[in-house]
Amino acid sequence: MIARLRFLWNETWQALRRNPLLQVASISTACVALVLVGVVGMTLYKLDAVAQMLPKQFETEVFLKFEATREQALELKAKLEAMPEVARVTLVPREQAWAEEQARLASEINLKDLPNPLPDKLVLATHQPDQLPAVAERIRQEPTVDEVIDQRETLRQVLATARLVRMVGLSAISLLLLSAILLIYNTVRLTIYSRQREVRVMALVGASLFTMRTPFILEGIVQGGLGGLVGATLVLVGAGLISDYTLQLWPFLRDLPPGLPPSLLLVSLPGLGALIGGLCAGWAAQRFVRV
Amino acid sequence: MVELRKVSVEYGEHHALHQVDLLVERGEFVFLVGTTGAGKSTLLKLLYGALKPTEGRIWVLGTEVNRLKPREIPTLRRQLGIIPQDYPLLPRKTVWENIAYALSAIGYNESAVRQRVAQVLARVGMSDRARYYPDQLSGGEAQRVAIARAIANRPPLLIADEPTANLDPETSWEIIDLLLQINLRGTTVIVSTHNRAIVDRARQRVVALDRGRIISDVPHAGYPVELDRLYPPIPL
Repeated sequence: MIARLRFLWNETWQALRRNPLLQVASISTACVALVLVGVVGMTLYKLDAVAQMLPKQFETEVFLKFEATREQALELKAKLEAMPEVARVTLVPREQAWAEEQARLASEINLKDLPNPLPDKLVLATHQPDQLPAVAERIRQEPTVDEVIDQRETLRQVLATARLVRMVGLSAISLLLLSAILLIYNTVRLTIYSRQREVRVMALVGASLFTMRTPFILEGIVQGGLGGLVGATLVLVGAGLISDYTLQLWPFLRDLPPGLPPSLLLVSLPGLGALIGGLCAGWAAQRFVRV
Repeated sequence: MVELRKVSVEYGEHHALHQVDLLVERGEFVFLVGTTGAGKSTLLKLLYGALKPTEGRIWVLGTEVNRLKPREIPTLRRQLGIIPQDYPLLPRKTVWENIAYALSAIGYNESAVRQRVAQVLARVGMSDRARYYPDQLSGGEAQRVAIARAIANRPPLLIADEPTANLDPETSWEIIDLLLQINLRGTTVIVSTHNRAIVDRARQRVVALDRGRIISDVPHAGYPVELDRLYPPIPL
């Protein structure tokens, strides 16, 4: 067993050392593909976080009829709180709303002598942003409700943008991964051709298929893993530089949610590279390494 | 040891082998002779599972080869010594490493490899060339290394496909003489060749093939007269 493991490792190590140009080609191919995956992944993560964050800022304002009493307002509040989609409901009494309005416009106009024209108001948020329109529609049916402002159009646009970002990002990642898979597969195929004599000798002396194929699979894992490691480093360095530059240009970007954690990228890209490298090499070995 | 029953190999309309029956007993030395395209290499490839017959059954060392799945073929090959026509030596490995590589690939540990490589190199008279690379060897020496590699796992059956191709007459005989010595130690040997001189000189069993059929099978014979009738030697 130890002799066999040593043979497999020697084969892999010698193959990695013997064809340096081919190895550089494989590793850089994996690296380029995984850098693109990393960049798209990071961008997607950030945009997705922004897209997820924005709808939380949308709340529905429910204006009650002017003649509605405080008891009716509290009753409606309790009724809305019982809805499963509703996360929270806040009652803004008309006195409070008017005081706030007076304070807000104090520098422009004196409203203190005017009678309060505002009704009681309920401010409502749902668990999921896309639940807001349906909930608003149901609230409109309430007899004590005068008007519901749900910012439906704005919300629809934000959600559509978030969906588009996800779709485009996932499609781009899928295409890039597919191209990485085909490129690594092709490189391993070339490696197998370049070592046809070794394969043939192994086949003639009766080496098992496992012994014949494993070095190529290990080679693919090493190539993919190294490509991923170099790729992750490039992505992190590049992201750091771009981030510093853009924050200098647009300081408001500091308020955006944080991006993908660097440790996650440093683990996931080499891991993904090794997985893809191993699978591609296994696929190529199964097709081209035969007894 | 080796038995073929009604074996045919067809490539579309072409019959590489047609209804071939053959029995080789343990300890025999058999020449397969015939012109290029007679079916010699096809027959040998059937024995080590590199080809599947279109019909018929093949037994080698008690295993029915035509029924083997790809993953089972290595087990059979570990009991065979195979010398293909181009005896592929690894150009970046020394003579010693070429043989050691083959043994390591089938699970020999380091000390067993050291011991066995030394033994087989001595057997084929190549101990003094152990550190040479293949491109530093003559054709005959390279063929000896290929033979050493093939017998390293002590196979009971040795299969050699045109081992004297591209070798001069003297070296060709040295290679056949080496195979005869291996046969004398109990290994069954099947050799394909179209080298008239060595067949005449060795006086072993000769099976003649022509266009995929066995046309003669004679023990302790020279080059078959049947082939001479079909393909008269070209006068120089």
